[in-house]
Amino acid sequence: MKLNLKELDEKTLITDLINGNEKAFELIVSSYHNLMLSVSRAIVGEAFADEVVQDAWISAIKALPKFEGRSSLKTWLLHIVSNGAKSRVRRENRMISLDDGWQSVSSDKFDNTGHRLDEILPWEEATPETLLANDQLQAAIEETFQNLPALQRATLTMYDMEGLKMEEVCNILDISASNARVLLHRARTCLHQCIDTFQDK
Amino acid sequence: MIKCKDLTEEASAYIDGNLSLRKRIAVYYHLLICRPCRNYLQQIRSTIKTVKVSQPKEKGAYDTCPLVKKLRELTGKQD
Repeated sequence: MKLNLKELDEKTLITDLINGNEKAFELIVSSYHNLMLSVSRAIVGEAFADEVVQDAWISAIKALPKFEGRSSLKTWLLHIVSNGAKSRVRRENRMISLDDGWQSVSSDKFDNTGHRLDEILPWEEATPETLLANDQLQAAIEETFQNLPALQRATLTMYDMEGLKMEEVCNILDISASNARVLLHRARTCLHQCIDTFQDK
Repeated sequence: MIKCKDLTEEASAYIDGNLSLRKRIAVYYHLLICRPCRNYLQQIRSTIKTVKVSQPKEKGAYDTCPLVKKLRELTGKQD
Protein backbone atom coordinates (compact mmCIF):
# COMPACT_ATOMS: atom_id res chain seq x y z
CA MET A 1 0.00 0.00 0.00
CA LYS A 2 1.27 3.45 -0.88
CA LEU A 3 1.78 5.71 2.09
CA ASN A 4 0.52 9.26 2.12
CA LEU A 5 2.35 12.00 3.98
CA LYS A 6 -0.85 13.62 5.19
CA GLU A 7 -2.07 10.41 6.76
CA LEU A 8 1.17 9.70 8.50
CA ASP A 9 2.49 11.84 11.33
CA GLU A 10 6.13 12.79 11.24
CA LYS A 11 7.08 10.82 14.36
CA THR A 12 5.82 7.61 12.80
CA LEU A 13 7.57 8.43 9.55
CA ILE A 14 10.86 9.06 11.35
CA THR A 15 10.57 5.82 13.33
CA ASP A 16 9.87 3.95 10.09
CA LEU A 17 12.89 5.56 8.44
CA ILE A 18 15.17 4.68 11.33
CA ASN A 19 13.89 1.12 11.07
CA GLY A 20 14.75 1.02 7.37
CA ASN A 21 11.17 0.76 6.10
CA GLU A 22 11.34 0.91 2.31
CA LYS A 23 7.95 2.59 1.84
CA ALA A 24 8.94 5.32 4.26
CA PHE A 25 12.07 6.05 2.22
CA GLU A 26 10.09 6.12 -1.01
CA LEU A 27 7.62 8.49 0.59
CA ILE A 28 10.09 10.98 2.00
CA VAL A 29 12.17 11.09 -1.20
CA SER A 30 9.16 11.52 -3.47
CA SER A 31 7.73 14.22 -1.20
CA TYR A 32 10.81 16.39 -0.77
CA HIS A 33 13.43 15.62 -3.41
CA ASN A 34 12.03 18.05 -5.98
CA LEU A 35 11.80 20.83 -3.42
CA MET A 36 15.37 20.24 -2.23
CA LEU A 37 16.63 20.26 -5.81
CA SER A 38 14.90 23.59 -6.38
CA VAL A 39 16.61 25.16 -3.34
CA SER A 40 19.98 23.70 -4.26
CA ARG A 41 19.79 24.98 -7.84
CA ALA A 42 18.86 28.44 -6.60
CA ILE A 43 21.95 28.59 -4.40
CA VAL A 44 24.73 26.72 -6.22
CA GLY A 45 23.41 26.60 -9.76
CA GLU A 46 22.76 23.66 -12.04
CA ALA A 47 26.20 22.06 -12.14
CA PHE A 48 26.57 21.08 -8.48
CA ALA A 49 22.94 21.09 -7.40
CA ASP A 50 22.34 17.40 -7.71
CA GLU A 51 25.47 16.43 -5.80
CA VAL A 52 24.58 18.84 -3.01
CA VAL A 53 21.09 17.31 -2.71
CA GLN A 54 22.47 13.76 -2.59
CA ASP A 55 24.90 14.77 0.16
CA ALA A 56 22.11 16.56 2.03
CA TRP A 57 19.97 13.43 1.97
CA ILE A 58 22.81 11.34 3.36
CA SER A 59 23.51 13.84 6.17
CA ALA A 60 19.81 14.06 6.96
CA ILE A 61 19.28 10.31 7.19
CA LYS A 62 22.37 9.94 9.38
CA ALA A 63 21.20 12.76 11.64
CA LEU A 64 17.62 11.53 11.80
CA PRO A 65 17.86 9.86 15.23
CA LYS A 66 18.86 13.28 16.60
CA PHE A 67 15.99 15.16 14.93
CA GLU A 68 14.14 16.93 17.74
CA GLY A 69 11.09 18.08 15.87
CA ARG A 70 11.58 21.75 16.67
CA SER A 71 10.72 22.51 13.07
CA SER A 72 8.82 20.43 10.55
CA LEU A 73 10.75 17.69 8.77
CA LYS A 74 10.36 19.67 5.54
CA THR A 75 11.94 22.83 6.95
CA TRP A 76 14.69 20.79 8.59
CA LEU A 77 15.56 19.09 5.29
CA LEU A 78 15.55 22.43 3.48
CA HIS A 79 17.95 23.91 6.01
CA ILE A 80 20.30 20.96 5.56
CA VAL A 81 20.33 21.33 1.78
CA SER A 82 20.61 25.10 2.06
CA ASN A 83 23.61 24.87 4.41
CA GLY A 84 25.28 22.33 2.13
CA ALA A 85 24.72 24.55 -0.89
CA LYS A 86 25.93 27.68 0.90
CA SER A 87 29.13 26.02 2.03
CA ARG A 88 29.64 24.98 -1.56
CA VAL A 89 29.62 28.58 -2.68
CA ARG A 90 31.32 30.03 0.40
CA ARG A 91 33.69 32.88 -0.32
CA GLU A 92 32.05 33.26 -3.67
CA ASN A 93 30.24 36.54 -3.48
CA ARG A 94 26.90 35.78 -5.00
CA MET A 95 25.30 38.97 -6.19
CA ILE A 96 21.66 39.12 -7.13
CA SER A 97 21.10 41.82 -9.65
CA LEU A 98 17.56 43.07 -9.59
CA ASP A 99 18.23 46.20 -11.58
CA ASP A 100 17.97 44.72 -15.03
CA GLY A 101 15.20 46.72 -16.66
CA TRP A 102 12.57 44.19 -15.68
CA GLN A 103 8.96 45.35 -15.71
CA SER A 104 5.77 43.51 -14.74
CA VAL A 105 3.80 44.65 -17.72
CA SER A 106 5.10 46.13 -20.94
CA SER A 107 5.15 49.96 -20.92
CA ASP A 108 3.12 50.19 -24.11
CA LYS A 109 0.09 49.00 -22.13
CA PHE A 110 -0.01 52.39 -20.34
CA ASP A 111 -0.41 55.99 -21.43
CA ASN A 112 2.19 58.58 -20.47
CA THR A 113 0.46 59.24 -17.15
CA GLY A 114 0.67 55.55 -16.22
CA HIS A 115 -2.97 54.66 -16.83
CA ARG A 116 -3.94 51.51 -18.66
CA LEU A 117 -4.81 51.86 -22.31
CA ASP A 118 -6.49 48.50 -22.73
CA GLU A 119 -9.35 46.83 -20.97
CA ILE A 120 -8.52 43.90 -18.68
CA LEU A 121 -11.21 41.28 -18.56
CA PRO A 122 -11.77 38.91 -15.68
CA TRP A 123 -10.68 35.39 -16.52
CA GLU A 124 -13.46 33.04 -17.33
CA GLU A 125 -13.66 29.61 -15.72
CA ALA A 126 -11.42 31.02 -13.08
CA THR A 127 -11.20 28.01 -10.81
CA PRO A 128 -7.75 26.46 -10.97
CA GLU A 129 -9.21 22.99 -11.51
CA THR A 130 -11.11 24.00 -14.64
CA LEU A 131 -8.12 25.92 -15.95
CA LEU A 132 -6.01 22.83 -15.54
CA ALA A 133 -8.47 20.54 -17.30
CA ASN A 134 -6.62 21.89 -20.32
CA ASP A 135 -3.55 19.67 -20.96
CA GLN A 136 -1.86 22.28 -23.11
CA LEU A 137 -2.16 24.82 -20.33
CA GLN A 138 -0.72 22.38 -17.81
CA ALA A 139 2.24 21.76 -20.15
CA ALA A 140 2.72 25.50 -20.74
CA ILE A 141 2.74 26.23 -17.00
CA GLU A 142 5.37 23.53 -16.48
CA GLU A 143 7.52 24.91 -19.29
CA THR A 144 7.24 28.52 -18.10
CA PHE A 145 8.05 27.43 -14.56
CA GLN A 146 11.11 25.46 -15.66
CA ASN A 147 12.40 28.42 -17.66
CA LEU A 148 12.23 30.81 -14.71
CA PRO A 149 15.57 31.74 -13.12
CA ALA A 150 16.41 29.25 -10.34
CA LEU A 151 15.97 31.77 -7.50
CA GLN A 152 12.52 32.77 -8.72
CA ARG A 153 11.57 29.12 -9.03
CA ALA A 154 12.75 28.25 -5.55
CA THR A 155 11.01 31.27 -3.99
CA LEU A 156 7.73 30.51 -5.74
CA THR A 157 7.96 26.79 -4.92
CA MET A 158 8.53 27.35 -1.22
CA TYR A 159 6.17 30.29 -0.68
CA ASP A 160 3.25 29.73 -3.06
CA MET A 161 3.32 25.97 -3.50
CA GLU A 162 4.66 24.68 -0.16
CA GLY A 163 3.31 27.40 2.08
CA LEU A 164 6.57 28.23 3.89
CA LYS A 165 6.73 31.56 5.71
CA MET A 166 8.61 34.34 3.90
CA GLU A 167 11.12 34.51 6.76
CA GLU A 168 11.98 30.82 6.28
CA VAL A 169 12.30 31.26 2.52
CA CYS A 170 14.74 34.13 3.09
CA ASN A 171 16.80 32.12 5.60
CA ILE A 172 16.98 29.09 3.36
CA LEU A 173 18.00 31.04 0.26
CA ASP A 174 20.03 33.60 2.18
CA ILE A 175 18.35 36.59 0.56
CA SER A 176 16.67 39.69 1.94
CA ALA A 177 12.89 39.91 2.29
CA SER A 178 12.70 42.68 -0.27
CA ASN A 179 14.65 40.60 -2.80
CA ALA A 180 12.45 37.60 -2.11
CA ARG A 181 9.32 39.72 -2.70
CA VAL A 182 10.69 40.92 -6.03
CA LEU A 183 11.61 37.39 -7.11
CA LEU A 184 8.19 36.10 -6.13
CA HIS A 185 6.39 38.87 -8.00
CA ARG A 186 8.43 38.28 -11.15
CA ALA A 187 7.77 34.55 -11.08
CA ARG A 188 4.04 35.10 -10.60
CA THR A 189 3.96 37.68 -13.38
CA CYS A 190 5.62 35.31 -15.88
CA LEU A 191 3.16 32.57 -15.00
CA HIS A 192 0.28 35.04 -15.21
CA GLN A 193 1.34 35.98 -18.74
CA CYS A 194 1.55 32.30 -19.66
CA ILE A 195 -1.96 31.55 -18.37
CA ASP A 196 -3.30 34.76 -19.89
CA THR A 197 -2.37 33.64 -23.43
CA PHE A 198 -4.73 30.68 -22.95
CA GLN A 199 -7.53 32.97 -21.81
CA ASP A 200 -7.36 34.90 -25.07
CA LYS A 201 -8.05 31.82 -27.16
CA MET B 1 -2.14 58.87 -6.14
CA ILE B 2 -1.12 55.58 -7.66
CA LYS B 3 -1.45 54.64 -11.31
CA CYS B 4 -2.30 51.34 -12.99
CA LYS B 5 1.37 50.86 -13.81
CA ASP B 6 2.32 51.17 -10.12
CA LEU B 7 -0.33 48.65 -9.22
CA THR B 8 1.19 45.99 -11.46
CA GLU B 9 4.44 46.37 -9.52
CA GLU B 10 2.74 46.27 -6.12
CA ALA B 11 0.23 43.52 -6.90
CA SER B 12 2.06 40.69 -5.11
CA ALA B 13 2.88 42.79 -2.07
CA TYR B 14 -0.78 43.85 -1.84
CA ILE B 15 -2.03 40.26 -2.12
CA ASP B 16 0.48 39.03 0.48
CA GLY B 17 -0.45 41.84 2.88
CA ASN B 18 3.01 43.27 2.71
CA LEU B 19 2.35 46.93 1.91
CA SER B 20 2.59 49.82 4.35
CA LEU B 21 -0.78 51.08 5.57
CA ARG B 22 -0.42 54.21 3.46
CA LYS B 23 0.26 52.27 0.26
CA ARG B 24 -2.45 49.76 1.04
CA ILE B 25 -5.01 52.53 1.35
CA ALA B 26 -3.77 54.09 -1.90
CA VAL B 27 -4.15 50.75 -3.70
CA TYR B 28 -7.57 50.23 -2.13
CA TYR B 29 -8.85 53.57 -3.40
CA HIS B 30 -7.38 52.99 -6.84
CA LEU B 31 -9.16 49.63 -7.00
CA LEU B 32 -12.47 51.26 -6.13
CA ILE B 33 -12.35 53.35 -9.27
CA CYS B 34 -10.41 51.07 -11.64
CA ARG B 35 -12.05 47.92 -12.94
CA PRO B 36 -9.12 46.78 -15.15
CA CYS B 37 -6.86 46.77 -12.08
CA ARG B 38 -9.46 44.85 -10.04
CA ASN B 39 -9.53 42.27 -12.80
CA TYR B 40 -5.74 42.22 -12.98
CA LEU B 41 -5.52 41.45 -9.26
CA GLN B 42 -8.13 38.72 -9.64
CA GLN B 43 -6.00 37.22 -12.40
CA ILE B 44 -2.85 37.27 -10.26
CA ARG B 45 -4.73 35.60 -7.39
CA SER B 46 -6.03 33.01 -9.82
CA THR B 47 -2.48 32.49 -11.15
CA ILE B 48 -1.21 31.72 -7.65
CA LYS B 49 -3.99 29.19 -7.05
CA THR B 50 -3.62 27.61 -10.48
CA VAL B 51 0.14 27.11 -10.09
CA LYS B 52 -0.41 25.60 -6.66
CA VAL B 53 -2.85 23.08 -8.12
CA SER B 54 -0.61 22.46 -11.13
CA GLN B 55 2.51 21.67 -9.01
CA PRO B 56 5.05 22.07 -11.84
CA LYS B 57 8.24 20.07 -11.27
CA GLU B 58 11.91 20.91 -11.65
CA LYS B 59 13.43 20.19 -15.03
CA GLY B 60 15.16 16.84 -15.49
CA ALA B 61 13.54 15.10 -12.55
CA TYR B 62 15.20 11.70 -12.64
CA ASP B 63 14.61 8.25 -11.24
CA THR B 64 15.04 8.43 -7.47
CA CYS B 65 15.01 4.65 -6.88
CA PRO B 66 18.81 4.37 -6.59
CA LEU B 67 18.78 7.22 -4.05
CA VAL B 68 16.06 5.52 -1.99
CA LYS B 69 18.10 2.31 -1.99
CA LYS B 70 21.29 4.11 -1.01
CA LEU B 71 19.63 6.01 1.85
CA ARG B 72 17.97 2.90 3.15
CA GLU B 73 21.30 1.10 3.26
CA LEU B 74 22.57 3.80 5.60
CA THR B 75 20.23 2.60 8.32
CA GLY B 76 21.80 -0.86 8.18
CA LYS B 77 18.33 -2.29 8.63
CA GLN B 78 16.45 -3.79 5.74
CA ASP B 79 13.35 -5.87 6.02
